This record gives sequence, structure tokens and C-alpha cells, in this order.
Amino acid sequence: MNGEEGEKGLSGDYRVMLLVGALILSLILLFLPTVFPELNYGGLRYGLDLDGGSWLQLRPEGALVQIDADMDQIISQEYGALLNETITLTRESSSEVSFTTNKIVTDKQIESLGYGEATVLTRGGVTTVDLQLSKTQVITTYLENKFKTEVVIIEDRDGSWFEIRKKTSAEELESLLIPVKGSILAYKDGVSPTTLADTKIILENKLNLFGLSDIKPTIVDNEFILIDLAGIDIDTALDLAGTPGKFEIRIQTEGNETQHAIYGEDIQSVGFHKTDTYGVWGVPFTLTQQGADALKEVAIETNAVIDPDNHNVIMLLDNKEIYSAPLSKDLADSLKYVPVQQMSASFGTDTGSKERAKQLETHLRAGALPVNVEVIGSGQVPASLGAQFKELTAIAGLLAIIVVSFVIYFRYRRKEIMLPMILTSLSEVIMILGFASAVKWQLDLPAIAGIIAVIGTGIDHLVIITDEVLYEGKLPPTKVYLTRISRAFGIIFAAAATTIIAMIWLVWMGFGAMRLFAMTTIVGVLIGVLIARPAYARIIKEVLKEEQEE
Amino acid sequence: MKSINIEHYIDAYLRRFSTKQMIAIPMVALLVSLMILGWSYYSTGSPVELGVEFTGGTIVTVESASPYNVVQQEFATQFPDTSPLSGRDAGGGRVLLQFGPMDETQQLELNKYISSNYGKDVFLKQMSALYGEKLQRSAIKAVLYAFIGMAIIVFFIFKSIIPSGAVVLSAFSDIIIAATLMDLFNISLSLGTVAALLMLIGYSVDSDILLTTRLLKRRGTTDEKLRAAMKTGLTMTSTTLAAIFVLFVVSTFAHFFTSFSRIDIISDISLVLLLGLAVDLMNTWMLNTGILKWYTSRDAPTRKKRGRKK
Repeated sequence: MNGEEGEKGLSGDYRVMLLVGALILSLILLFLPTVFPELNYGGLRYGLDLDGGSWLQLRPEGALVQIDADMDQIISQEYGALLNETITLTRESSSEVSFTTNKIVTDKQIESLGYGEATVLTRGGVTTVDLQLSKTQVITTYLENKFKTEVVIIEDRDGSWFEIRKKTSAEELESLLIPVKGSILAYKDGVSPTTLADTKIILENKLNLFGLSDIKPTIVDNEFILIDLAGIDIDTALDLAGTPGKFEIRIQTEGNETQHAIYGEDIQSVGFHKTDTYGVWGVPFTLTQQGADALKEVAIETNAVIDPDNHNVIMLLDNKEIYSAPLSKDLADSLKYVPVQQMSASFGTDTGSKERAKQLETHLRAGALPVNVEVIGSGQVPASLGAQFKELTAIAGLLAIIVVSFVIYFRYRRKEIMLPMILTSLSEVIMILGFASAVKWQLDLPAIAGIIAVIGTGIDHLVIITDEVLYEGKLPPTKVYLTRISRAFGIIFAAAATTIIAMIWLVWMGFGAMRLFAMTTIVGVLIGVLIARPAYARIIKEVLKEEQEE
Repeated sequence: MKSINIEHYIDAYLRRFSTKQMIAIPMVALLVSLMILGWSYYSTGSPVELGVEFTGGTIVTVESASPYNVVQQEFATQFPDTSPLSGRDAGGGRVLLQFGPMDETQQLELNKYISSNYGKDVFLKQMSALYGEKLQRSAIKAVLYAFIGMAIIVFFIFKSIIPSGAVVLSAFSDIIIAATLMDLFNISLSLGTVAALLMLIGYSVDSDILLTTRLLKRRGTTDEKLRAAMKTGLTMTSTTLAAIFVLFVVSTFAHFFTSFSRIDIISDISLVLLLGLAVDLMNTWMLNTGILKWYTSRDAPTRKKRGRKK
């Protein structure tokens, strides 16, 4: 029969073989999980807007600044304020500053401001203070004291930056620099890539802690952290990640005044909340050596070791008090002489205390983020709505194929042309979906729009091929056919190149939702141009030849 | 026999319009559009109305048996500082409310109210104004770069100023007129509609490249080649239009007949594409065709002489 001859001619063609191979591979990939669910590979994955869930877009608060300030000005201003008198600078170099004061001071007092190690010498009523320091260190400490937050040095191509780990503005910084004759050389909103990455990892750990190991936060635009939480509602999502909090321990000095002791990063490990021998709920935790030293010093400075009841230890999360209690008698006594690393935050014996202990454990365990994060975008799609969207887009896709088939049939009046065209188009969809399942894309509504766009241009290109081949209304001799086909592909490649160029910026700039749209479009265009359309050109020739021979 | 009819219409069209008219009509449309966009930019600060993604704000759809204005009133009373800017029926027993930008605390309060009064089955989307601005710049860049990239490729393909310029001009006109129609139809610029405008660049260039290649790189009389190119091109656009039309109808109107909700992003994309493709028909088969007809007749020395004798 003629049909068999046609099949034979096609089956040997490498373009057709490539198409069939790619189709089989795609189908295997798509149905792999149905047959071997334990492999956990292949099959379609859907994004939030189709499967339901919530998403958060977070922005770490902070600023990167380059500033110049006068070291002497900072020292005289800061110590002048501390000692409440005008001090006189006697010597200054790049690593040392000396000043004299009429007050009697101890080295501990001088060092409490954090400007390096001090040597204090009192002779004849005049005290000479000698500080070992560097300019960078002085500026860092000044910023830390003024902003009441951590300031770290970040090096990059543009030099050395001070990273202020708190929401601020150029105006605020400016106003703090004027008194010390300083100026801003450069100001960038946001934090360094390293800090951003640290924040991301800590968030990831936190999500892990809650048994959400599948959820991987991603960094977008070098500025934001995006978290997709499939199957989780927005309230839970915000509780988990949106308000992760910055942890700090402070000790009460007088009345409402408190003094900073340590930040969350000095908490080395956290135990499970449990009751002690008296049935009191508590959370045991361990401080780093550094943290223990800092706590001891501050406890002594604030007098908490002598009079613990008037100097509570306060734990803050996002500057909100989450725990406040005096040092225990034993601990206060030990801290007078040695740093203590093992501690326990105790509550009461009732069930409410148990809950509070559990909550504190989570806060401690999660580790504090280096910076606060601001929720700049969030959303939720209920699973039921996602399911509706999925069904509706499937219906729309099917209807679109049927309507396009009619248009094609109306134009060519031959099902021999319409069928290969529609089948080629369908094969493109299957291959795109196969590719998506291979690279684990999570298909969302924009991605589906991308697939539809590709199918649209795909049909366009099949029409171009068909019309070239059928220029005189029937199949031309092979030689003419070849020049026609190459001309058709000239148009198709040019059109494909422009589509890819138009989309590539979206991938490159990658703003959130539209990235997958652009990627499906590009992949779809490539699959169409390299696999499906060459095979179609071959198939349509065989089909027409067969028809003419009949 | 129907296919002959199409050619008959194409012939009638080609006889009806002179080259000058072919160029003039779309150019007038382009100029009017530029004026409308300019006016809109002058009066509102943006040539096209910006959607929530670009201005910042919150969109919520909740399940409710009450009509949308009742729900809107409820939220306006509850949140006088951040009352909804607009509301509408979203289909599937849902009400859609749109709020302006709000701060984190206000947002959390709104979330809390919604989840305690409307349960968990809520669609929610919140974008900060700050990110919206950033997104706006990115979107403008994306469209601009896409356009420049397309222009470079087109020049590279045809290596000749006028034919490539005609393709680029008609793609530019497609986007401008489509944006103007968005203004007139009250479609705001969202990520979806930006994507649609980018797709439009792709579709627009498809038919233009077909036309230019057929006219410049093939033997035969201009009219003959043009007729064939038009036949192919119109088939291309009509298949695409048909598919996009179905998409538009299903995503936009399905909720009138079924329990489905409206899919806004697909509805927006498909409507912009529908308008854009219609505009592209004009720009390809009038503007681009007109320029190419003038270009080929100018190129042929014999015709030039004849023209002078007249």
C-alpha cells in the first residue's frame, strides 16, 4: 500500500527520528512518576498559582556606606559626652589616640564605649588615657553606638564599605556625621551579597526546623529573597519567615535603661525546653566564649551580679521584649569571677510557661538573622482556586486547538494538511512539557501563557512552510522543494531569533513571575525551530507526494 | 473554491488603496496614538495606567455571598485609613477588592481580619510601592532592550536601511497603538500586559519578515508576490487571533456560565494580544506593504522613467 511506502520514507529521515525520539523521551519524563513514584523525578510540577500556597518577597534592611570622618572629632565627642567634660587630645597617630581628663576613670569605663584597648595613667590629678585603635575601627564603633546596631566592614570592587545593619537613610547618616565633621562618600540602600546570602541560609534553616525542607528561598535581583511556600497559608508563612526577628540580650541598668550584652549570633546552641528538678519550665542554651565574656562584663558593669533583682536580663526579638528575668543567685555569683557559657532561661511551672518556653526555644534556635527583613511583597492562592485555574487553562488550551484546526481546515480544505499541522503543534506542547519536567520547572499561569504564545508562533511557521511548499498549489519537484524549504526556514529562523531576543531580557533581568514565561517561550521556540518544524517540512512533503500519487 | 475568494478580496484591497494611502492611514493612527499617550503622560505622569504590580498595593479576592459593593463597604468601614480603591465581581462566588499601598503593620492587620472573617480560602497579592517602582524600571528596560535587540536582528537579516526600517517602524507602531488602545479600554499595565507587549514584538515581526522576504528575495511582479504573501500572512494572523480569542473568552467570561473564577492574568494578556494583532494587520499590510511597494518601484529604473514622463 501507498501508506506503508510513505511511512518507510519518513522513518529513515533523521529529522523525523529526532522528533519521535524527543517525543518518546518527553512522554517518559512526563509519566515517570505515575509508574515509579519513588524516583521522585519527572512529571509536571505546578507553581503556587496553580497548586495553591503562598509566597513572600523579603528585603533585608540596611545600608552600605563609604564615609570619611575625623577620628579625633569622634574620640573627643564620644569621650567628652561619656565623661561630661571637654577632653584634650594630646597625641594622635593612625593607630593610637591619647587624651587627658581631670576626672578619675578606670580602663573598664573607657573601654565600655568599645573604642579599643585603653591604658589609663593618673598622675597629679590629671588622667592620661591612651587608646589603641584604627580609623576604620573608630568609625565602625561610632556608627554602632549611634545606630545601636551591628556595623561590619564589607570589601568589594569599589573598595571598603560600612554595612549598617538597620533601616536608615542618607539624611539620618548625614545628621550623625555632621558633629564629627564627617561626610558621606557613597551611600547604597540594602546589604552586601554576603549578608544577603547569610540571611537566606538562616531563613532556610528556620524553614527546615519547621519540617519544610522542600522550601528553598531564592535570591532575586541581588537584593531580595523570594520564598514560595507551597500548600502553606499566608499567615503561617509570615509567622515563619516574614518576622524572623533579630535576637538580642540586654541587661537593665537603671529604670527603663538597658545596656547591650550580646546578639543572637553569640548563641552557640540551644537545648530542648524542659522542666528542672523543681518543675520549672526553661530553655537551656550555650553561649560562645566571646558571648560569655561579653555577658560577664556587662553583668558586672551594670551591677547585675551584685543586685540581680533590679537588673533584669532582657531578651529582645525585633526590639520587642520576649523574656525578662533577673539572673539567678548562683549565676550572678559565678559571673563576678568567670564567664559562664551554659545558661537556662526559666519560666514558671504552669502550662502557659511551657508554651512560652517552647516559643523562646524556637526563637533562640532559629538563629537571629543578621538584619531585619521587610516584607515587600506577599501573596496567597488558595488550592481550590489554583485547581480551578488549572482546569480552566486546560479547557482553554483544548478549545484553542480545536478552533485553530477549523481555521486551518477552512483555509486549506484538506485534512491531510490540517492533521500533520495540529499534530506537530501538539508534539511541541508535549516536548515543552517534557523539558519542563526534566528541569523541574514549576509551571505557573505566565508559563502557560508562554506555551500558548509559542504554539501561536509555531502554527504561524507551519503555515509559512506549507505555503512555500504549495506555492503553485501542488508539490514542486524535489530541487525546487529544497530551495523553497530553505527560504521558508530563512524566514522562520529570523522570526525565531527576534522572538528569543525579545524575551531574553526578561530571563536576564529575571523579575519574578515573568522569568518563567520568558524561559518557556525561548525553550519552546528552540524546540519548535530545531525539532518540530524540520520534521514537519519532511512529513508534509511525504503526505503531499502520497496524495499526488493516488 | 473558497480560497479563490480570499485572493479576490486581496486583489480588491490592493486596487482600492494607493501606496500613499497605505502609508498615510497607519501613520495618522500612529501620530494620534502618540498624542494620546503624550497627553496621558502629561496629565497622569504615565502614558499607560499602571497596575498594582507597578504602583504597589494589595489585591484580595474573598468568597462571599454578598454583592461586591457590600463587601467593599464592609472593608471601607473596617479600614478607614486603607479603604479599598475599587471592587468587582470576580466570578465563582468571589469578590475582588483592590487596595492602595500600605505599610507592613496595616497589611498584617488586613490579613488578620480577612483570615478570621473569610477563612483561608482567600486570594491575596501584595506588592510594596518601592518594589513596584523598581519593577517599572525593569519593565521599561525589558521592552526597550527587546525592541533594540529585535531591530538589530532585523537590520542584520535584510542589511538594507529602508526595508528593515519599515519592519522596525511597524513593530514600533504596533506597540504604541496597542498601548493607546489599552488606555482607551482601561487595561492597566501589569506584568502580564508587559509580557503581552513583548509577545507582540515577536508576532509583529513574524509577518513583517515574511512580507519583506517574499517581496525582496523572490522573482515575479510585486503584486503577485504581495498577493501570495498576504494570503500566507493573513492565515498566520487568523490562526493566532482564533487561538487568542478562545483564550480571552474562556479566561474572561467563563464565570458567567460556570462556577469558575476569572483568570485575570490570562485575560489581560489575551486582550492586549487581540488588540495588538488587529493593529498589526494594519501595520503589516498597509504601512509596511506601502513602504515596500514604494521602495521596490523606486528601485526599478524603468518604472522611475515612466513615472517621470507622467
